[in-house]
Amino acid sequence: MLDIEKIRDLVEMMVKNDLVEISLRDGEEEVNLRRPNAASAFSTPDAAPPAGLTTLPPPAGSRLAPLPNVAASNSPAVELIEIKSPMVGTFYSAPDPESPPYLRVGQALHVGMVVCIVEAMKVFNEIKSEVAGTLERILVSNAQAVEFGQPLFQVRP
Amino acid sequence: MFRRILIANRGEIALRIIRACHELNIEAICVFSEADRGVAYLELADRAICIGGPAPKDSYLKSDRIIAAAEIAGADAIHPGYGFLAENATFAEKCRACNLEFIGPSAEAMRLLGDKSTARELAQKCRVPTVPGSDGILEDEQQTLQVAEKLGFPMIIKASAGGGGRGMRIVHGKPELLNAIKQARQEAQGAFSNGDVYIEKFLDRPRHVEVQIIGDHHGTILHLGERDCTLQRRYQKLVEESPSPAIEPRTRKDLCLSAIRLAKAAGYFSAGTVEFLVDARGKFYFIEVNTRIQVEHPVTELITGIDLIKTQIRVAAGEPLPFYQKGVRFSGHAIECRINAEDPDENFRPCAGTITRFRPPGGLGVRVDSYAHDGCRVSPHYDSLIAKVIVHQPTREEAIRCMQRCLAEFIIEPLKTTIPFQRQVLSHPDFERGSIDTGFVERVFTPSR
Repeated sequence: MLDIEKIRDLVEMMVKNDLVEISLRDGEEEVNLRRPNAASAFSTPDAAPPAGLTTLPPPAGSRLAPLPNVAASNSPAVELIEIKSPMVGTFYSAPDPESPPYLRVGQALHVGMVVCIVEAMKVFNEIKSEVAGTLERILVSNAQAVEFGQPLFQVRP
Repeated sequence: MFRRILIANRGEIALRIIRACHELNIEAICVFSEADRGVAYLELADRAICIGGPAPKDSYLKSDRIIAAAEIAGADAIHPGYGFLAENATFAEKCRACNLEFIGPSAEAMRLLGDKSTARELAQKCRVPTVPGSDGILEDEQQTLQVAEKLGFPMIIKASAGGGGRGMRIVHGKPELLNAIKQARQEAQGAFSNGDVYIEKFLDRPRHVEVQIIGDHHGTILHLGERDCTLQRRYQKLVEESPSPAIEPRTRKDLCLSAIRLAKAAGYFSAGTVEFLVDARGKFYFIEVNTRIQVEHPVTELITGIDLIKTQIRVAAGEPLPFYQKGVRFSGHAIECRINAEDPDENFRPCAGTITRFRPPGGLGVRVDSYAHDGCRVSPHYDSLIAKVIVHQPTREEAIRCMQRCLAEFIIEPLKTTIPFQRQVLSHPDFERGSIDTGFVERVFTPSR
């Protein structure tokens, strides 16, 4: 059975690791914790700290007492994975100006799939995904300069 | 003139170049590794671009990422600083092939002078005295033994592609010779990917005196005097000064003219340093050329009043040198101490960590070149130089007094630094008399612990 202490631990862990959503099931008990205003892990170091977690009543049938500052949500979620640039150059979302972009939000990704081009010194390097999942967010815009390690995409595994 | 220069380096030299750029109204673009993220001098750059992981091979040595950074930042030129890619002729070529001016000499001059044995050959052609030794690299055992017979012991084996004091080995007698050469070759192959070695006579108690040269793209090469860098430990310089307290004016003149002759023969431009050994009788011998700006360049800047980095930038932009040889004036005496994060009591073991208190000295004629500040991380991935203290006073005695005061004031906590060592050295009577040699540190300081 899920108890208050464990939920508190979960909340602490979420805040500490800046997680956005956690969904846990134990037998008939299910808890969904969501931080709608959490700062993303990709924000700049001096971004404002996340806003407080919102409060919602616990799901019906649960033996858990209402907890302050914990949100319940209907959509299950886990931690997102970033695809980062392995090089310095200019990001292009499509193979060439006439073609459609490689990816759109919600698209399924598999390992080895070309996700974008980073161009440097007139050499167009295809960047391949090392993760599988669904594209959650594109973090850079077409023709934007990117540095080593810069996050390009968020993927829901 | 350039609009934007990319600085392919880090630490104090990156800061130095940022300052020169800004004084020339040029934007400074810095690259940095993940280990240098957040370091204070990056905030002074007009833009900073991450190029890789902490290890130099993953970042500061990644020439294509550096050039890509220059491209996306719209830089016109790259300044390589010292170390890393500063003497990499292939990198210089790549930059120029990508329409980025490389602030340094031509790739040809770099190759010619960067290889110690071809530089020796060129020096001999220009009637610049060289240390007696093998003519060119050692080919086989027979030739080696012949050369050794003529030279006599002790002798020193040097890696042709070596530098920064590495790749050298002293041999005291014939029995050790062939084995020592085999080992030296292996080490050279490992460290520099080039196993070529040559040998030279090992001079008795020499001084290390180097000449600063500067050339433009119009064929003019001038000298800016000499620096005496005799105070070394394991071939790493710790104290430098100018003028040298141990050479006659005649020797100084010959050294400087020899340096110019050699540089001209190599078609050199930009800043460079020609290094010599001077023996007890005042005879000098060419050893090598450093085809880059050097750590100790501030010593020359203070006695001449000439900004070497700005001059490098101007020259690279095609401008003629803005002064004549006759117009170069030397005044006073300058001394530099390199403050390294090393523990002199533990065989100069490098110390990494975070500086909690950084209180540099000040006052009239005191200059501190450093990237450090309170809270600054000293990374184990890079060289241990934290700060350079350079003093400039009317006389050598006053310069020594001033430096002693500065070293006594300088606080760097909690890391161990070479400051206590330099304080001892500067009060040693041999140093004050100006009569030390390159073996001084080992003789006087190593046994005492």
